[in-house]
Amino acid sequence: MRQAMYGLVLYVFLMLPPVANLAESVMTIHMHMQMPLFVIAGMLMTPFLKQQFPRFFAKWNSNGVPGIILFMIVVIYWMIPRTMDEALTIQAIEIFKFISLPFLAGVPLRDSWKKIRLVGKNIIFVTLSVICGFMAWLYIFSPEQLCNNYLIVEQITLGWAFLFLALSIMIYFVQQFFVDRSECE
Amino acid sequence: METAVLKETFMDKTNKKLGVNPEDALVSKVYLSLAFILLLVGGTLGLLQGLNRAGLLQLPVWLNYYQILTAHGILLVVAFTTLFMTGYFYAGVSHTLGGLTSKARKFAWSALASLLVGTVMIMTTVVMGEASVMYTFYPPMQASPWFYIGLVFLALGIWLAGTGVFVNAASWKKANRGQKLPLFSFFAVGGYLLLILGSLGITAEVLMLIPWAFGWTETVNVMLSRTLFWAFGHTAVNVWYLVAVSAWYVAIPKIIGGKTFSDVLARVVVILSVILNVPGGFHHQIIDPGITQSVKFMHVFMSLSIALPSLLTAFAMFAIFERAGRKKGATGLLGWFKKLPWKDVRFLAPMIAMITFIPAGAGGIAQTNNQLNQTVHNSLWVVGHFHLTVGVTVALTFFGIAYWLIPYLSKRVMTARLNKLGLIQTWLWAIGMLFMSGSMHWVGLLGSPRRTSFSTYGDNATALSWDPYLMFLGIGGTLLFAGVVLMVYIVFHLMFRAPKGHTEFPIAEEEENASPTPKWTERWGLWIVLAIAVISMGYVIPIVDMIVNAPPGSPGFKTW
Ligand code: HEM
Ligand SMILES: [Cu+2]
Repeated sequence: MRQAMYGLVLYVFLMLPPVANLAESVMTIHMHMQMPLFVIAGMLMTPFLKQQFPRFFAKWNSNGVPGIILFMIVVIYWMIPRTMDEALTIQAIEIFKFISLPFLAGVPLRDSWKKIRLVGKNIIFVTLSVICGFMAWLYIFSPEQLCNNYLIVEQITLGWAFLFLALSIMIYFVQQFFVDRSECE
Repeated sequence: METAVLKETFMDKTNKKLGVNPEDALVSKVYLSLAFILLLVGGTLGLLQGLNRAGLLQLPVWLNYYQILTAHGILLVVAFTTLFMTGYFYAGVSHTLGGLTSKARKFAWSALASLLVGTVMIMTTVVMGEASVMYTFYPPMQASPWFYIGLVFLALGIWLAGTGVFVNAASWKKANRGQKLPLFSFFAVGGYLLLILGSLGITAEVLMLIPWAFGWTETVNVMLSRTLFWAFGHTAVNVWYLVAVSAWYVAIPKIIGGKTFSDVLARVVVILSVILNVPGGFHHQIIDPGITQSVKFMHVFMSLSIALPSLLTAFAMFAIFERAGRKKGATGLLGWFKKLPWKDVRFLAPMIAMITFIPAGAGGIAQTNNQLNQTVHNSLWVVGHFHLTVGVTVALTFFGIAYWLIPYLSKRVMTARLNKLGLIQTWLWAIGMLFMSGSMHWVGLLGSPRRTSFSTYGDNATALSWDPYLMFLGIGGTLLFAGVVLMVYIVFHLMFRAPKGHTEFPIAEEEENASPTPKWTERWGLWIVLAIAVISMGYVIPIVDMIVNAPPGSPGFKTW
């Protein structure tokens, strides 16, 4: 259960007030570093949780679809500008962020990924990159400040980061068709 | 599995019997010949610069110091290296993958055409005095637009050469299901991938500079241009280093009668280099204004992370040497050191290259620190530093490769006499560089600036105190020039004159008990995505800042 330990350490580290403050002080780092790291922390803890509660996972997420839908909902929720603002100003929302990203996004993602079929995975890749592309467009071209807590420059920066993210997901998605998976796994 | 083994020995045998096929050999021979001709031209300019800085040579009015410095930089650190890399990698891909596909050869030739067009355009503008902007071509210095268009052709040539290697590797993978790409070809794929990633920056920059140089746009964003340049400039030299490293892992163990230390480790070094490298470009801009303190702080870590693969390499090399030495009966803690084939130039040259990387790398780590960088920035120290890294570690390894690669391609053999000349060449290079680079480092610490033709600054006392060191710089430069001439002689002798015979392409084998290489090493899609992620982490924040908060742009200046 080494992985779960690493996950827990990462989780606690990210929640330390100075670390959280630093990460949240830059919009791009808030959304593209802190949040994904929370998801990763959850993913690392998944095998341990599955071992502890095997029945729960079997019952609620037998084919992976509920899990992946939950993951998408949580991730999309946190992409909305307003939620980021609230996480900074309302303590309860901040705590909800700390709980939802690892346990309602990271854990279901890892549990579902092995269970869903290839079509499902492809749908997820495409949806995610389209959403990221849309967010890029929104953040780059919005003439107004979308978050009270962040300047317009930061917003534009975040938009570009989204564009690169969309691009990365797309490249990863497309290359699979050229590479024989069995060759390299 | 059995058929795979059979196939390999069969391939080995045909390779031994027939050697390289003439069409593949021609590709590499042309690339390598051009590379060494450019080395001769660039080295001659280097001599002129060295003598000028020593105060011994006044350049005639029609030959400006900055003009030849631009040519020297571009010819040696861009053209010589790219040509050598392509000739060498294509030869090795041909050897390890059982011949180039005809598609790959077409890519190689069109890449050559593009590289030549680019080099000719650049050199013409430089010779005409229209582009004395140094190889970094920082705006607001403004060269002729054709100089920048030449750079586009260079980038295009790099992409074509890289695509040829990718195509060849992919078709080999298809024909050899379940087998891992041979280590040499793995290096080639990684090297081109990194070079292409880096060249995206310079392409974006040049596309901004061309309309500006034509006068279609009035101003240019200086900070942005510098940043995009170094995304390439930094990555490129790390690719040259990776090319040298490939020979250390693949060829040297065979030459000294040893085995590969670890196939996995070598592949991890390639992967880490590809993923981590590009954002290191910021360590060339530590003194630049307009980059916030926190971004510079972050980049200290990004820059130091690149040292990790180098340290892994150093570890692996010493392990290979020790094992090979002990196999030959060495005893004691350092007995293996004496058992190494010091009289074999194919070993000596790359060995000195490696040893040089110890002080060179240490100097590099020092320069990455803000305060130390303030002391040495734009002084001759920096020139001393990269003549160790690129001028010795890379160039001397390339020379070491030439001693076996060229006879392999020309189906000739190296004679004892040529080996001896090679040993002399290597020592000339080492001693010449010791003088030149040593004095550059020292006089740089005393404040002597780089990129500055000889001047006593009106007999200023400080400037006069530099003169003794600059004299040593001139002496070192002269020795080096002799080394260049000797090297070019050896290369063409090996290509056209040496006795006919069979020379093998040294490819080290793995230890019998080596653990199999895990398949994940070939997940190139993942490595590319991770590299893009790291590049975005390094660049998105500062570049958006540079664009959105830009001061008014600058019009062009002709400072020469
Ligand atoms: C005959 C051998 C060589 C000699 C005598 C030599 C000498 C010099 C000198 C004196 C400078 C100029 C210092 C200044 O004013 O700033 C210089 C710059 C430079 N050299 Fe060399 N060098 C030699 C070989 C090489 C090699 C093999 C490489 C790379 C593969 C190389 C790459 C460079 C670069 C990139 C610059 C910087 C140009 C600039 O600042 O724009 N040199 N060299
Ligand atoms: Cu660098």
